[in-house]
Amino acid sequence: MAQAQLTPEEGWRTIHHTLAQSQSSLYLAGTAYILLLWGGIVSIYFLFQFAIAELAPSFEDNYPWYPGPLWGIIGACGMIGSAMIGHREGSRNADYATAKSAGLRVFAFWVAVVAAAFLVSGAAGLWSEEGAEKIPHVTFGIISLGYVLFGIMYRPALVAVGVGMAAAFYIPDYLAGDFAALGTGVGMLAVAVAGALWMRRSGTG
Amino acid sequence: MTGGQIFLDEIIHQPARLRVMTMLVAQPEDGQLAYGFIQSTLGLTGGNLTTHLRKLEDAGYLATTKEFVDSKPRTWIQATEDGRRAFTDYLSNLEKALSWPPPA
Repeated sequence: MAQAQLTPEEGWRTIHHTLAQSQSSLYLAGTAYILLLWGGIVSIYFLFQFAIAELAPSFEDNYPWYPGPLWGIIGACGMIGSAMIGHREGSRNADYATAKSAGLRVFAFWVAVVAAAFLVSGAAGLWSEEGAEKIPHVTFGIISLGYVLFGIMYRPALVAVGVGMAAAFYIPDYLAGDFAALGTGVGMLAVAVAGALWMRRSGTG
Repeated sequence: MTGGQIFLDEIIHQPARLRVMTMLVAQPEDGQLAYGFIQSTLGLTGGNLTTHLRKLEDAGYLATTKEFVDSKPRTWIQATEDGRRAFTDYLSNLEKALSWPPPA
């Protein structure tokens, strides 16, 4: 056997560990910035909702459907921004084909999560005038679950982000009364900033 | 395998170089990885990584390309055909070593 610092068993383990590490690093490219972007978007939405309820209650009475189109616009901005960040960060790591393949997998994962939120809330009969106000409860639960699953697969910090997001939504919603939107807005931003810092400090994202 | 012994390529069979080669060979044939990406993924210092890359390059197992993106230098690294072959041989010998001695 050649003189070396590794036993064959260690060599085998090193290969498997490196493959997993390399794959997750490719999939996590830009995650910290994307997390900040969505944390900012969600936070702005809830702070806007709180400001409307406090400062212009008649607006809410006249346009009770405003969250739908608003989410459509900011959601589209978030998706475009995420794609741009993912593309920029991915192309710093690997050649176009490799970065694109990793980016498409991550994109497909999140499309599936958002589609699940849409379908589950539809199946629960929430796409109606009476049920609409419960749609965010289903959506945030499923998106938080998405972070937990992505974290289990690629980086434990994202499990904490998913749990934190769920807490930032459900705790104020059940306990803060009229200040729920304010609590969620501040909580989401705090979770996103903490998650992004954690990702950066752990060396990826 | 010679004389009942299994030889593992010493250039590859070293922790840092094995990790670098694993990352590179896992990419498609023309796939390239950025120096900074390899460094951050493996958590190696710049000096350490450069030393190991040089050793692998001297053996003909990888090739480096430098380019400027937005006026900043970027180094791309890819496994050569010889490098891929050497890694395949290394894997095959590693498998034999793991099952050594063979069942009677």
